[in-house]
Amino acid sequence: MAIFSRKNKVEEIVDGDIFNKETEGLSQGQIVLKRFFRHRGAMISLIALFSLVLFVFSALGFKIFGIGYGGWWKYKITDLPTLRTDGCPIELPGCPTLNLIPGKHFGLGDHPFGQDDLGRDYFSLVMRGAERSLEVMVVIGLVAGALGIIVGALAGFYRGVIDATLMRLVDFIITVPVIVLGSVLGYHFGSKGVLFLALFLGLVSWGGLSRLVRGDFLTLREREFVDAARVAGASNRRIIFKHILPNAIGVIIVNVTLLMSGAILLEAALSYLGFGVVPPDVSLGLLISQYQDSFTTRPWLFWWPGLIIIIVALSVNFIGDGLRDAFDPRQRRRISRKDRAAERQSAEKN
Amino acid sequence: MFAYISRRIGVMFVILFGSSFLIYNAAAYAGDPTEGLRGSTAPQAHQKLIALIRELHLNVPPPARYFIWLKGILKGFTGHIDLGLTRDQNPVSTAISNAIPITIRLILLSFLLAILFGLGLGIVSALRQYSRFDYAMTFIAFLMYSLPIFWVAVLLKAYLAISFNNFLLNGKIAPLWILSASAVSGFFWAAIISGTRKRVFAIFGVAGGATAVILTLLSVTKWFTHPGLGPITMLILGLAFAVGITYLSTGISNKAALRSSITVIIIGFLLYFPVQYFLKKDANLLTILVMLLITIAIAVGVAYLFAKIDRRPVIRTSVFTSLFAGILFIIDKLMKTWVPYINTDAIHQRPIPTISQSNDLLPEGNFWFSSLDTVLHLLLPTIALILITMAGYIRYSRGTMLEVMNQDYIRTARAKGLSERTVIMRHAFRNTLIPITTILVVDFAAIMSGAIITESVFGWHGMGTQFNLAVHNQDLNLLMGVFLFTSSLVIMANLVADLLYSALDPRIRVVGKK
Amino acid sequence: MKARLKSRSLVAAVSAASVALIGFVAVPAHADTRSTVVAIESNTFTSYNNITPDTNIVINGDVQYLTGFPMFYYDDKLNIVPNPKLATWKITKNLPTDFEVTYTIAPGRVWSDGAPITAADLLLWHVTTSSDYSKAAGLGDPSGATGSAFNSVNYGGVYDSHIAGIPTLSNNNMSITFKYDSQIPDYLLNGPGLEPMSVHALQELADGKTSLGSVADAAAATAKFVSEVTSKNTKALQALGKIWSNSYNFTTVDSSTNPLLLVNNGAYHVKSVDSNQITLVASPNYNSGPALSGINTLVIKQGIADGSPSAQAIANGDADVYQGQPTADAVAQLKAIKTAKVLTTSSLAFEHIELRVASSGSDTYTGPFAMSGGQKAADLRKAFLLAYPRADIVQKLVQPINPDALVLGSVITLPGNPQYDHAASVNGMAAYNVGTQASRTAQALRLVKKWYPTAGNGSTPIAINLLWGSPGNTRRTSEAALIIAAEAQAGFKVTAPATAGWGGKLTLTQYDAHFFIFDQTANPQDAQACGIFQAGGGSNYTGINDPVINSTCAALQKTTLASNTVNRYRILIEQAVAKDAFFLGIFQNPEVTAFNSGLSGIVPAPLSPSLFWNFWTWHF
Repeated sequence: MAIFSRKNKVEEIVDGDIFNKETEGLSQGQIVLKRFFRHRGAMISLIALFSLVLFVFSALGFKIFGIGYGGWWKYKITDLPTLRTDGCPIELPGCPTLNLIPGKHFGLGDHPFGQDDLGRDYFSLVMRGAERSLEVMVVIGLVAGALGIIVGALAGFYRGVIDATLMRLVDFIITVPVIVLGSVLGYHFGSKGVLFLALFLGLVSWGGLSRLVRGDFLTLREREFVDAARVAGASNRRIIFKHILPNAIGVIIVNVTLLMSGAILLEAALSYLGFGVVPPDVSLGLLISQYQDSFTTRPWLFWWPGLIIIIVALSVNFIGDGLRDAFDPRQRRRISRKDRAAERQSAEKN
Repeated sequence: MFAYISRRIGVMFVILFGSSFLIYNAAAYAGDPTEGLRGSTAPQAHQKLIALIRELHLNVPPPARYFIWLKGILKGFTGHIDLGLTRDQNPVSTAISNAIPITIRLILLSFLLAILFGLGLGIVSALRQYSRFDYAMTFIAFLMYSLPIFWVAVLLKAYLAISFNNFLLNGKIAPLWILSASAVSGFFWAAIISGTRKRVFAIFGVAGGATAVILTLLSVTKWFTHPGLGPITMLILGLAFAVGITYLSTGISNKAALRSSITVIIIGFLLYFPVQYFLKKDANLLTILVMLLITIAIAVGVAYLFAKIDRRPVIRTSVFTSLFAGILFIIDKLMKTWVPYINTDAIHQRPIPTISQSNDLLPEGNFWFSSLDTVLHLLLPTIALILITMAGYIRYSRGTMLEVMNQDYIRTARAKGLSERTVIMRHAFRNTLIPITTILVVDFAAIMSGAIITESVFGWHGMGTQFNLAVHNQDLNLLMGVFLFTSSLVIMANLVADLLYSALDPRIRVVGKK
Repeated sequence: MKARLKSRSLVAAVSAASVALIGFVAVPAHADTRSTVVAIESNTFTSYNNITPDTNIVINGDVQYLTGFPMFYYDDKLNIVPNPKLATWKITKNLPTDFEVTYTIAPGRVWSDGAPITAADLLLWHVTTSSDYSKAAGLGDPSGATGSAFNSVNYGGVYDSHIAGIPTLSNNNMSITFKYDSQIPDYLLNGPGLEPMSVHALQELADGKTSLGSVADAAAATAKFVSEVTSKNTKALQALGKIWSNSYNFTTVDSSTNPLLLVNNGAYHVKSVDSNQITLVASPNYNSGPALSGINTLVIKQGIADGSPSAQAIANGDADVYQGQPTADAVAQLKAIKTAKVLTTSSLAFEHIELRVASSGSDTYTGPFAMSGGQKAADLRKAFLLAYPRADIVQKLVQPINPDALVLGSVITLPGNPQYDHAASVNGMAAYNVGTQASRTAQALRLVKKWYPTAGNGSTPIAINLLWGSPGNTRRTSEAALIIAAEAQAGFKVTAPATAGWGGKLTLTQYDAHFFIFDQTANPQDAQACGIFQAGGGSNYTGINDPVINSTCAALQKTTLASNTVNRYRILIEQAVAKDAFFLGIFQNPEVTAFNSGLSGIVPAPLSPSLFWNFWTWHF
């Protein structure tokens, strides 16, 4: 049966000396990096995400501790240029001027992403929204990721009273609906800015991750290699971080990346309910929920922010995928075309 | 064990007390229930304000008001729990108990199907790591994960409901669609089965060709306006399934399993006409249940006849096959109901709805009408929910499967000379299920409270709607009612997950230990 | 081989799924005469009694209107249309201190259970509207801490403060006379009406009955009710009040529902209610109003979100009628549906900008717009209103939904009223709408420069805090952006963040200005505007206290006036408002109605029950 066959043989080849030669004499970090760079999807995503971040943050400029950079885009989100009507279908003013078909109108034009109802340049809105959403994503990912891993690891490793206490804390956290808490925080601290909100959302969204990590630790701590490390005199800290964590990293990374792309959607849901980013600030989620009716009539208002969300979510997840594979100590290097060819030959010979 | 569970449940009450106090106060400070009255110039606005302050105890500060609410809850110990009244003076308990079955109906099917597809695709994707199929699945899963549900809903409504209903008016499939559908199916199967280049092309041809032929047949026979399976098609589908399930469950070399599952299908085929008598319009759930039990009994009986030793896998195979046959019978019956159904006044030739959970205008007392109606109203929201929840399951099961496949016991199993099918189905698959199960339990509780937007775009009125109403109307009692229900569910689910975890994986000692 | 078998069956499944994605050119549905209309509403039904404070919402009112025909109703032109089929009335005494109105029920009118409608059914109005009666009968003080046994929303109005004694029934029980201690304005609007329940059914419910009784039972129950009311039988009335206040709050109706709860006099009868929909069927005994034209079943699908979901439900034929306030894009979607007609109208809700001019309560206001600031503040107020981008807001945010929307020239006499053009030309508001926005902004800047010579050209010396609504409100978010940009050109630095819980902050003096929507629920003589402009008015969030406005409002609220006097007074108020420069209307809330183009008779009206006001003329 096609679905089940063949892999077996491939692994025999991979298990052989290629793998060992590959990693001989390299530190763990070097192995991870090497493996990661090999992951084509992850590399493409990393480059895409990195360029997107550069593009987005340079478009409108920024100012940190008085050192500012003006940005290369001509409009700010507060500018109110006149609404473009020429060249747009009737009743759909403000259509995008971006034109990739070579000819007279080729190029960016005045408003490449179009304009909103008021005539505001949609490119600048989307750029500012992307800045906010990326910030939210990173903050939530970092805070929730760190908390989830630490709590999960401690609970799973030490078990007993520590486990029971920490897990009841988790129960407490996961019973509190994020949307309710988000709405409350939005109400009181909405004006304090989006990072503040993201920080708090991070503080309440680590429950699921910590349970997963704990589950993994519970299994792993019973394994032989942990006993071996203990017998060899390794400290608890060393066992947790050097021995068990790398083995649990697959689940962690998949979860954290899902959490990060979920953060963008959480922010969108909060904005949808009116509790997310507070206008006049914008976020991708805010734009999408604001223009959810537009996608058959003025699709650009919906598609540009949607496209960026998808690009970010996709690349974050692919990077996570690559990291997962790279960190996994048992993972063999990926099968190259050469291996496939070899395998195919051997298959045909048999 | 008992002590552990009761201790956990005791702690649950403490947690609920703490988090409900937090939520109550947070929500009370976050909203102003009188806000809606501000823009009203009506003379009644003043009286409304007085009544509101009186009924919601707005003159009591929130921390103290919490205990007024708690008093009603604590009456639960005397058997008369009082969740208070909603802002429109209906009991919260009624609102919630009406909403729960609706949400369960909405979620259960999509949840099961999402698990089925998610696990299946994730596992295949892991077995084919770094293949085109794997990349495609990863891409599709992440894409689905990043889609806002209202967007999915709008698309589904536009194509599966509005356009499909228009299409049903004549039931002919345009050649362009046949071509593209064939190409899609060709690509799908070529990607999933893969192999040498020649083989890929062959699979592409066979799958694409088969799709084209089937679609043309369906179009020419106007199958969509007059759908039905008929005994012969059912026999063919049944036999195919019998072989397939035998292969997955015991391996095709297990002749007893193969024979018994094929026999089950043939018995089903022979019983086709007698069974129709029982599936008349005054059938009810009890009839279906009884027939289900009979089906299982027959399947077990057949398995006993064929298998002399090692009966369990044979019985399993044969029961699965018989269940599939049963589902085929139901589908066949629903398809036969289709024509009279769409010609009723209430349906008016447009069977796929975009909103609501049922059509109350249908003639009463026809079990099959109401079943078909339920299925059709479930169709779009179920697909939408499957699409967005499946992504996570694909990822989790792929990741877990990859990890499991690298474990020593898999290597050992292979070294023993077990067939690849046995290694995957019996060793890898089962171990993959352990972490997945615990995720699923917790997830189910989360979905219960997470269907807010789905319910709102499809006009369903379950827990999500109640939550939405509570937030928008600043209806504190309703909000707390929803919160109590969902958070108890979440805590219970976590408890169940913990128990399952230790039950499934004997190495974990969590329960027995103090 | 086996793989092939399996893959083929799966191929069939896949192809079936692929086929489902196919779209086709619409073929018009074959049209046969239907007698069922499915309407969609975004709210959910909560009570069959819509006159308690908690159930006084639009959808309950709609159901009430469809199942209980009133003595008079508003048409689409805001005229009050009497319904002589059910009742007639006349003023029997018209003295400044003694004012009497007698209502007579037309003979032969029946409730849905066959019992005759009598004037005693109007007596219930008194019990649920008069605070004096409630207190005298020992039912409690409606404005006090415990409230009345009848938890009615109608206490505290004109009727309550002027009714004298218990209304008297005629001997045949078909007429009833209401005696007031002075002449009252809008005696019809402020006077009694049939309530959602008949008194005999209410009495039978209180007596523990669970099924419909005979006509004789009904007569006995009515007599019992009358004697309980006239003798102020506290215990019996409390039992009635409990049922009146609570028993009608239900969200499901099925065969187990007590039929006495559903006794009504309207064209339709409630057949079933569930969380999904309300099903109404033509009532066989109905004779209290005009006959139906062919719609025998009316279904209201409830809780359907505005926007795309509604538009797609109409496109798919899941619903025939929709009314709501969708976004411009959803309107475009609705207009693209070939099988539906779309009407855009204006409701009696209008958005406005108001400036705080004085303190409210103990909070003192000393900001730039304070009346105490003399000429400087007056100039700044005028400048702020002149620079306010009303035309821009209407053009960019409202006209995409309703192309006929106007910049409001009057807020008391709204467009659609035949007097609107006249009122708008003489009330002084036109001064804020002359020339172009550029010229108005220039004028505003000149006013500002009188006091702040450096203003303009990027200098914004006057800080203004503007309150407008919560973050979820997309349209107002956009408005705020326009306002900040426009006012900056006239020297105002406007701070206008979205504020959750904004409603409660309207009384705070930290805000110099607010813009939001005022919603009108009826059209009395003062057009419900005195509450906004009168000193101490319930909706006065500006602190205005203008003697001209106060005295004119007092006159409008004293007696029933001739219509030209009413119009003159309304203009007087607006002239004072324009002179004080603290309030301007912006636009009327657009309302969109979309319906199956096969359905005729739909003419939305500006007041609730907007869509349904002429339901009896509907037909396919």
